[in-house]
Amino acid sequence: MKLLTLLLITIIGFTNISIAKEVNVYSYRQPILIDPFFEEFTKTTGIKVNVLHAKKGLLERVVAEGANTPADLVLTVDIARLSQFVQKDLLMEVNSVILNKNIPPHLRDSNNKWFALSKRARILAVSKDRVSNNSIKNIEDLADPRWRGKICTRPGSHDYNRSLLASIIAANGEEKAEEWASNLVLNLARKPEGNDRAQAKAVHEGVCDIAVMNTYYFGKMKFNEKNPEQKEWAKSINLIFTNQDNRGNHINVAGGGVVKYSKNKDNAIALLEFLTQPEAQILYSKMNYEYPVNPNVEPSEELSSWGVFIEDQLPVERLAELAPTAQKIIDRVGW
Amino acid sequence: MSSWNIWSVPVGIISLFIISPVLAIFYSALLGDTTLWPHLFSTVLPRYLVNTLLLMLGVGSLSLLFGISTAWLVSRYEFPGRSIFEWALLLPAAVPAYIIAYTYTDLLEYAGPVQGYLREVFNWQNSQDYWFPNIRSMEGAILVMSSVLYPYIYLLTRASFITLPISYFQTSAIYGRKPFFAVALPLARPAIIAGLALVLMETISDFGTVDYFAIETLTLGVFNVWLGMNSLSGAAQISSILFFIVVILLTLELIARRNQRFYEKHSRQETIDLDKISNYQKILFFITCLIPLILGFIIPVSVLLNFVLKGYSVVNISEVVDTAITSITISFVASTTIMLLSFLMVVVATYKSNTFQKSLIFLASCGYAFPGTILAVGVVVFVGWLNEIFYFHINYFIGGFIVLIFAYTLRFLAIGNGSIRSGIMRINPNLIDASRTMGRSFLTTMKKVILPLTYTNILVGGILVFVDILKELPITLLLRPFNFETLATYVYQYASDEMLEESSFAALIIVVAGLGPVIFLSRTIKKYSNKTN
Repeated sequence: MKLLTLLLITIIGFTNISIAKEVNVYSYRQPILIDPFFEEFTKTTGIKVNVLHAKKGLLERVVAEGANTPADLVLTVDIARLSQFVQKDLLMEVNSVILNKNIPPHLRDSNNKWFALSKRARILAVSKDRVSNNSIKNIEDLADPRWRGKICTRPGSHDYNRSLLASIIAANGEEKAEEWASNLVLNLARKPEGNDRAQAKAVHEGVCDIAVMNTYYFGKMKFNEKNPEQKEWAKSINLIFTNQDNRGNHINVAGGGVVKYSKNKDNAIALLEFLTQPEAQILYSKMNYEYPVNPNVEPSEELSSWGVFIEDQLPVERLAELAPTAQKIIDRVGW
Repeated sequence: MSSWNIWSVPVGIISLFIISPVLAIFYSALLGDTTLWPHLFSTVLPRYLVNTLLLMLGVGSLSLLFGISTAWLVSRYEFPGRSIFEWALLLPAAVPAYIIAYTYTDLLEYAGPVQGYLREVFNWQNSQDYWFPNIRSMEGAILVMSSVLYPYIYLLTRASFITLPISYFQTSAIYGRKPFFAVALPLARPAIIAGLALVLMETISDFGTVDYFAIETLTLGVFNVWLGMNSLSGAAQISSILFFIVVILLTLELIARRNQRFYEKHSRQETIDLDKISNYQKILFFITCLIPLILGFIIPVSVLLNFVLKGYSVVNISEVVDTAITSITISFVASTTIMLLSFLMVVVATYKSNTFQKSLIFLASCGYAFPGTILAVGVVVFVGWLNEIFYFHINYFIGGFIVLIFAYTLRFLAIGNGSIRSGIMRINPNLIDASRTMGRSFLTTMKKVILPLTYTNILVGGILVFVDILKELPITLLLRPFNFETLATYVYQYASDEMLEESSFAALIIVVAGLGPVIFLSRTIKKYSNKTN
């Protein structure tokens, strides 16, 4: 059966004789980051990709559309949203040899309802001048009073920080995590504002010494031809991967799943598979500075030059489960 | 005459239909568990509430100051630039709030040109050497929001000032009273309050600016609970607080108007002679009008223009032109629909309805106060129910358009209603009675008497709605069909990652597309008010 599916997909994929040569994608991911992948997909397979991009509410839209939904595939930029789709029973089980081969088990759903497509690490960007090497090793160190008034982050309620806190809850327990968060708030140089890039910029400007940031922002700054000043921001920071002597650096994933009521199921699976193949995985790494999920694909040279690091092996599903608890802590400590 | 008549019943049903997505939000609020509330009460809710009220107070006061002062000056005094200010003061209405927040941050932050210049002049090395106000603050939010929202007050107030019977001013002069305080302000009160209500509703429903400036308002709280705690019902519950604030606002508006009924005694009026003033006053007035214009239009547009000229933006002319055509078409269709409904609803509410029907029609305009995304989710849920009952497909392309226009109606009806109501309030009921006594039907009366007398108000409302839809983002984003872009969503695909530079060209087009109607509107109002009937 699997083989038959595979064969079918191969036929649809490469001989261009499918009936409905379309796939409808609901994407939380920004078009400029994902469109090049779709163009490549259409070029190889002849399947047209229709996209609807929104940052909020797509889940509710799929729920309301029910069996009539035009959506075939959902793409998100974090795990919490993906597992909400699973909770609402909106995704179907996909048994694909290619996906199983290309994605390690801790980066996909235990029932194969969602699949991670790229990874990002949440790291520390520290001032080259003002923070010495090895003075900070673990994410827990951010609570140290020696950093009073030295740290910048975006608001705690952002998905990325919530997920970071969830990983700390998983590692150290809720009580310790709350203690950490409240000490972190005491250490902040300013009220949380802006996105991750704005924090790195604040380090460059001397507002603070340490910023919490996702890895890809570094690449986006370092090679920003349109705004060359951002290259300067990148130059003034060092990247620190945390918890390298213990559980590893916190990671989050962008991923996707096939909608339960998909009318173009095969095309949707073909697109998912395409995104995990080496060509696309390299693109994630080269274009977006994200880490590939496919273990057979090496990160780009540029990415590797930032450092090879140990990842926190916590199943990413746990992050989604702990997100509400994390948000409550964030509310309590006022992050 | 029974109030359950051929007019009030259908309009009541339409109102109920329009308000259904809000009811869907309430429904999910009731369904949800309330276990979050002790947590919210003891942590964030007081802060959200205080911040929301502070923001409303600040934006309300500053918008009143900008709006009333400029409206009075341009409609009363002759000074250099007056005829340009008349329409130019409306221009900030075309600048979306999320764009003004970006541009001001770009300008005033540490790396921006202003601080850079100061550092150079005073030889400061870094941020520790000096103090500079942070634009990402409550004060900053009040400033940027007021400078694009005051046109609501300016527009409605000015329309009211220039249609005031000249005899009132002559009377006040005879008694030695100040015309502004004795005549203009009291008589323009319905218009001022209508404008203020719009400004305040826009303020509490704003997400773009408060999110960018990290001001923790109730609206931001709605999103934290919805997305952070995965609780749509919790979010709906917080939205209900917003709703009650708005009901209070709208009720205050109604009360204020009820105590202040007045009608024009003469339909014939003389052209107002503008007051001659000293040179010193001329300069003062010029500056007073220039300030809001600089804040709300010249500064943000210069920043955008600068990005475009520096070649930062992605300029794809044919793509932008296509998008602009889509945007203008849907804004036009939707604003026409909304004004038609508004006219019908307000007329029927005023002349043909009992208290219950009035309240229903009144409630139909409360959608303006909800954050756009929440409203869109309400629409999605409501259409989902319809789907089940009627098998009505949201996903058909044409269905998508209908849903979008429906959602715009829910969101912006308040603007149409507010503007038409302030016109109808001034029609002397004797005119209606006279028409009816002469045996004219209500329909004919509506066409021959009410419509001509509220013509300017319909235009004012229509254009405000048009410009608002042109800028509208969250609803369009979520409810649109596949591959459908308006200028706002086009800008957003770049702006959402704080890459405003790349979207600056499209952002400028939004402003330009809004200019035409705004200028046309201003001309028409003037022509209409100067015409001696």
